[in-house]
Amino acid sequence: MIEVQQLAKSFEARVHGRRTRVTAVADVSFGAADGTITALLGPNGAGKTTTLRIIGTLVQPDAGRATVGGLDTTREALAVRAQLGMLSDARGLYARLTARENIEYYGDLRGVARAALAERLAMLAELLDMAPLLDRRTEGFSTGERMKVALARALIHDPRHLILDEPTSGLDVMSTRALRRLLDHLRGEGKCILLSSHIMPEVEQLADRIVIVAHGRSIADGTADEIRRRAGAESLEDAFVTLAYGPEGATP
Amino acid sequence: MRAALVVFAKELKDALRDRRTWLVVLISSLVAGPVSLLLIAGIVSSAEESAARREVVIANAAKAPTLVNFLQRNGASVRDAPADYREELLSGRLQNAVVVIPDDFGRRLASGEPVRLEVIFDETAQRAQTAVRTTIALLQGFNREQGTQRLLARGVSPQVLQPLQIEEVNLAGSRARGAQLLFLVPWLALVGAVVGAISVAIDVTAGERERGSLEPLLMNPVSTASLVLGKWAVAASCSAAVVVLTLAGFTASMQFVRSENLAALMQFGTPEILLFLILLLPFSAMVASLNMLAATYGRSHKEAQTYASYITMIVNFVPIIPLFLTVRDAPWQLLVPALGQQTVLMRALRGEAVAAVDILLPSTIALALTAAALLLQARLLRNERIIFSR
Repeated sequence: MIEVQQLAKSFEARVHGRRTRVTAVADVSFGAADGTITALLGPNGAGKTTTLRIIGTLVQPDAGRATVGGLDTTREALAVRAQLGMLSDARGLYARLTARENIEYYGDLRGVARAALAERLAMLAELLDMAPLLDRRTEGFSTGERMKVALARALIHDPRHLILDEPTSGLDVMSTRALRRLLDHLRGEGKCILLSSHIMPEVEQLADRIVIVAHGRSIADGTADEIRRRAGAESLEDAFVTLAYGPEGATP
Repeated sequence: MRAALVVFAKELKDALRDRRTWLVVLISSLVAGPVSLLLIAGIVSSAEESAARREVVIANAAKAPTLVNFLQRNGASVRDAPADYREELLSGRLQNAVVVIPDDFGRRLASGEPVRLEVIFDETAQRAQTAVRTTIALLQGFNREQGTQRLLARGVSPQVLQPLQIEEVNLAGSRARGAQLLFLVPWLALVGAVVGAISVAIDVTAGERERGSLEPLLMNPVSTASLVLGKWAVAASCSAAVVVLTLAGFTASMQFVRSENLAALMQFGTPEILLFLILLLPFSAMVASLNMLAATYGRSHKEAQTYASYITMIVNFVPIIPLFLTVRDAPWQLLVPALGQQTVLMRALRGEAVAAVDILLPSTIALALTAAALLLQARLLRNERIIFSR
């Protein structure tokens, strides 16, 4: 269970050489239940990544709070991280280590016992169809191969919660399928999965529930059908534009 | 602590698979040390040889048989100057002075007129300076002898012209004289410590940011302090390895050179090696932590290299400061990192006494700076700007 209440976060930035504060998240609230895939849907710069980083404990909110499994992300950061797996937009691997060594490093850091680690690694390799990659150094891996290693690395401790920031960006069909298969499997296990995306058809296909985020605010929340109905629109895309930019934005 | 060990093991494996690490370790330790020691040995022995040979190079020697005769009586050998002696002096092929005899030398000398003798040399040619002084001293000896003879011929006691009798007593032993060059030995070890740390220090900090592995790493339920500690331990070990190999290189080439000149010049036995290690290992710890701290501000290897090069420059330059100072071994020198180590190690090489405080003071300062740099870095890794700006 991930819960977010009235999150706000602004950054200092230079605009035309002047220091100003740029608001990344103004007011975001939503909940992501266990056994459900929840998607944050919004245009680039809507505040999705910042929201996920706050939940991931690496960014402190200016206002509001986020909890993961009931634990506060600011006050109990280490405990939150222990039961969280995160695939952020930074998916760097260590090029001189093999895929297996990359994944085992995180397992060791999290104190996963050796036997459990080997078992878990074999299972993830099977689910992600990456067994042949395991003993190759990751230098020169394709985007899809990198995503698989980064995902396995984030899941090596069998976390109850999984956060994925734009998981399908740059992936080909087969890698996207492998990802979908894995997410289905994890949902079946009752995991709480939260992802972000700006690609409507993909969100419709992957997610059970959708949270629409625009201009740093969460503006709608529900299944794809519920959202379409509320906006009175045929497609999710039209519904999204109506909700995010008003009815006049929707007229082409 | 367990997490720090995991980080240490991973970063060590990563560094050992990096060809750059090996290149730096091998070049800086196995080549730089022995080569510079061989150069020092070469300079020392050729300086002492030319002094021992007492060779005087003369252009137009045939016109000055009296002078040649005097030189030979005084145990010096006379050699004809090559035709292009100016070039040979400037290029360093001729490490001596050249005495130019004018054609009318014999006539003027016989008639008691003053003779203008040119002694040509290159003041910047360090190795030639002993030979130059010998030549000038011999010429002055000839001058004195001629003058004495003339006074005697006129019935005047030569003592009239010599109110002073100067006798040179040089307190610097041959060891202290060559010690100016020995400056290179601790300096190379200090520079080696920095060079050894750089590549790893950058890879474990700016490298993580550049390849986008820092953010996922920080998502692990591990304190930034243990991450920093594990990473630092690898950078410091690498630096220490270069120091140890540099010292091994010095020791090995000392055996190889077997020059008595060098042995007389430099005290470099087991106690000195131990002292080097005691002073340089905390120094390695310090430069590794400072390089990491500086490199953390870099978003890429390239940017981090610029920041780290400031530290390299300081460590290269600071130990040279005493060469410009009139006061030798001022107490404050011990307080300056790099300079403190250099000062104490030079004392040891010169065979002077080294007190406990001389070891404790620079090492304590180095370790305190290490701790401060590591703490600061652990805080820096919680900074959103550092984690996310790529």
